[in-house]
Amino acid sequence: MAQHTLEVIVENSPGVLARVAGLFSRRAYNIERLSVGPTSDPETSKMDIVVNLEGHALEQVIAQLDKLINVISIQEILPNSAQPVIHDTQPDYTN
Amino acid sequence: MEMSQMNGASSLVASLEAAGVDVMFGIPGGAILPAYDPIFSSSIRHILVRHEQGAGHAATGYAQVTGRVGVCIATSGPGATNLVTPLADAAMDSVPVVAITGQVPSVAIGTDAFQEADIRGITMPFAKHNYLITDPADIPRAIAEAFHIASTGRPGPVLVDIAKDALQKMTDFKYPTSVSLKGYQPKSAPDAQSITDAAELITQSSKPVFYVGGGAIKADVSRELLELAQILGAPVVTTLMARGAFPDSHPLHLGMPGMHGTVAAVTALQKADLLITLGARFDDRVTGKLSTFAVNAKVIHADIDPAEIGKNRFADVAVIGDLKHTITALIPALKLALAKSRPDLTPWLRQVNALKASYPLGYDAPKDGSLSPQYVIERLGKISGPQTIFAAGVGQHQMWAAQFVSYENPRTWLNSGGLGTMGYAVPAAMGAKVGAPDTTVWAIDGDGCFQMTNQELVTCALNNIPIKVAIINNESLGMVRQWQTLFYEGRYSNTNLESKRVPNFPMLAEAMGCVGLSCERAEDVDATIEKAMSINDQPVVVDFRVHRDAMVWPMVAAGTSNDDIMIARETAPDWDSQEL
Repeated sequence: MAQHTLEVIVENSPGVLARVAGLFSRRAYNIERLSVGPTSDPETSKMDIVVNLEGHALEQVIAQLDKLINVISIQEILPNSAQPVIHDTQPDYTN
Repeated sequence: MEMSQMNGASSLVASLEAAGVDVMFGIPGGAILPAYDPIFSSSIRHILVRHEQGAGHAATGYAQVTGRVGVCIATSGPGATNLVTPLADAAMDSVPVVAITGQVPSVAIGTDAFQEADIRGITMPFAKHNYLITDPADIPRAIAEAFHIASTGRPGPVLVDIAKDALQKMTDFKYPTSVSLKGYQPKSAPDAQSITDAAELITQSSKPVFYVGGGAIKADVSRELLELAQILGAPVVTTLMARGAFPDSHPLHLGMPGMHGTVAAVTALQKADLLITLGARFDDRVTGKLSTFAVNAKVIHADIDPAEIGKNRFADVAVIGDLKHTITALIPALKLALAKSRPDLTPWLRQVNALKASYPLGYDAPKDGSLSPQYVIERLGKISGPQTIFAAGVGQHQMWAAQFVSYENPRTWLNSGGLGTMGYAVPAAMGAKVGAPDTTVWAIDGDGCFQMTNQELVTCALNNIPIKVAIINNESLGMVRQWQTLFYEGRYSNTNLESKRVPNFPMLAEAMGCVGLSCERAEDVDATIEKAMSINDQPVVVDFRVHRDAMVWPMVAAGTSNDDIMIARETAPDWDSQEL
């Protein structure tokens, strides 16, 4: 199974790592590798999450991650591509 | 709004008032105590419950009846952990609830202080969102965000945990005029292309079914749904969470699908070539064994939650957005598409109507002359009428209440569908009655369920909340007993509650300030219900002493295919006589 790397921009708020880790645990998905670091914006952090998932399961993880209020955006980093795949299951607010 | 100086507790109550809260259910305690001082003089009605679980389910019942956010409040530690069940319940059934909890002072957090529990951590897996507030300046923003998050998108519970010192310190109160969250922008209007695609797929179908879920209640789309169903003239099924979204009396309605659904509803889904899924989530209790569910059907899946699309079942057309926008857009699109090409649904309707006629819901009167639980519930529905609100617990009585009461209006049927919380009925009925004080509210409860949360009848009696409770007393954990009968060779391990001996329910009711009645003969049922209906200044509890071996049918056994639906023990429908 191919590894996929998700670059997740999150709000830099207490408990956000627990929310992300808890989501993987509760939905019974594994995290292969995880790193968390700052971004140029002090209000946000970046998580690189490597998962051994594809297809439907990968889509579900992304959709469920996107539901976390503290998750701002999710991009899939492809190794041999200049264009990252942007996952945005909650497009612009149109109310 | 101008700024003013006050302590965090006053800021909390002023924020709740600004959020439009008119009632909340709760119990004070040490850590939340500062908030109870301004509550004492607030315009918000606070209903003092007898257990925090009751506060949570009452908030849920209030929200399900009114469509507004239900609010509950508790102290730290055990107060907060007692809210866990109702909040998990609200999450599973997508009910907008805001829970406020006190927390130990911020310097004590992490020290295993008296009544300390990490309620934010505990509720993280299921709450839609939650907050731990240690700075009083953050209170108004957290409350505004909590109400926004709970009530928009797919509704759900939000918890705001506030450290005691944040309630005590002085702060500037200013309620935000708008809420902006970078990571939360729920979509309301669906993409135009998805509507066109859905309409197109519908015109290609000769066996469509509207599979309607609880989202149709949340989005208040009963009128639009009726129009949509009539434009196409296709059959409709309403799930356990959607009972009342479409009138039971309508000729296109086949009833409830799922484990205890009607043969017509279950089979229509199985044999369909298109499921027009509106605010439903392909729950295992509806689909049965997923790999055998509606194998020939294409799927249109309309939901406000993008994560539901494709979660359990692939969607050929996904329509993401508020169901109100979706159906409103789909009506003209479908009219246009049908004007070009209208499929002939006559053979399909003939098939499903034949099933509906051949296999109506029914029950046999017990041979020993004892009272039939289904008969009691059927009469409750008939005598109380279609405006009445019913709240059920969980188990056999819940299924019979879903089957044998005819629901004509949305928000008249409350139950714990997703979590299956025994004890839901009494406190949820209390919240419902507070939200709809001029409407008759019946809790249809089991003798097992009733013994989990009946303490809230004291709250009802003291606060002029005259609900009515029908205990369907089969002196058993009836649904578990049914499974033991069917799957465990009748070995009734720990399901005999002996509740025809102890407790004496009418006396218990009287002790709690209610009127207690009892009924055990079919010929007395109508008069007993009418007597209960005539009492409107006190809660009423009726102990209906029913046959203990009545079973819920039809049934699709857990983990089996919907094709294997049984209409009675070891009895399948006579498929050979049906044209399918």
